[in-house]
Amino acid sequence: MRAETLKGHLDGILLAVLESGPHHGYAIMEDLRVRSGGRVDLPTGTVYPAMHRLERAGLVQADWSEVGGRRRRVYELTSAGRRALDTERSSWLDFSAAVSALLQPSQIAVNPS
Amino acid sequence: MSRAVEPAPTVERYLAEVTALLPGPAKAHDGILAELRTGLLDAADSHRSAGLTAAQAAEEAVREFGDPGEVADGFRAEIAADQARRVVIVLLATGPVVGLLWIVTALAGHLPIHVPSAEGPGMGLPLVALAVGVTVWAALLGIASTGRLTRWLPAEPRQAPTAAAVAGFGAVGADALGLALLAVELATAPGRLSALLAMLLAATAATASVARLLFAGRAVCRCLAMRAGLG
Repeated sequence: MRAETLKGHLDGILLAVLESGPHHGYAIMEDLRVRSGGRVDLPTGTVYPAMHRLERAGLVQADWSEVGGRRRRVYELTSAGRRALDTERSSWLDFSAAVSALLQPSQIAVNPS
Repeated sequence: MSRAVEPAPTVERYLAEVTALLPGPAKAHDGILAELRTGLLDAADSHRSAGLTAAQAAEEAVREFGDPGEVADGFRAEIAADQARRVVIVLLATGPVVGLLWIVTALAGHLPIHVPSAEGPGMGLPLVALAVGVTVWAALLGIASTGRLTRWLPAEPRQAPTAAAVAGFGAVGADALGLALLAVELATAPGRLSALLAMLLAATAATASVARLLFAGRAVCRCLAMRAGLG
């Protein structure tokens, strides 16, 4: 699944990855791949500017810290980020339920006459 | 057994490609590059633990990070927003100081700031007020489009540098008008500013306005260039 397909949902997906706890940039990408069963395969470099955008919006906060011998920028959800994730999640569930219902093969036989 | 090639040259070459495409001063790139470098080294480590050589792991890490142009494109909007925010904060912080210096100068020199005539300072002051109003309005828009309000605003990356450029234009206008009004006063009624205190205040206000004008002028050019880079 490429970036274009995820357009409009990337923020929610990134917030969802951080729901389990603080992550640094590469760990976010690894988590995305694992949790999507390898179906989400964004260029890793594009995740970083997205995280900066979420930080600017106050949805995540970032701090530099030494992890595994390297200085890393570690991101975690803010309370506003948790609220945004809840909103994103419920609107996605509504949207996917509506689209699933519409894409179901029709049960009604159409009479050509 | 051949010695493993360190991944650093491949990683550094990739980072240099990204840097070359980023706008703004080099200082604004430091944090971004440090973060990308760590991520690339993490990726290379991950590929090495999967059995690749150091050189192959570095190549794979770079491939995984994607096209440097695409990565730079993502950061371009962030750098523009950051730079725009700095510009409008400086303009908002210095505006009242410079304005106060001019008001004190006008009071100390008994300058006719209340003259309602359509000539001389009377004509210039409404224009100063207009320029200050434009600066403040655009600077507040710049603050809104670069901070926490962005979570509710539609994503428009060019809005922040545009607002900062307009605020810069307003500040250039306000300061240039202040300096022009002082020049008119000096030319038409030099006696008003002959007292030492009035002279010192006028010199301080003029210096502050020139410094702000230069800053705002450069900021306008930088913001317009960043805006153009955002397509």
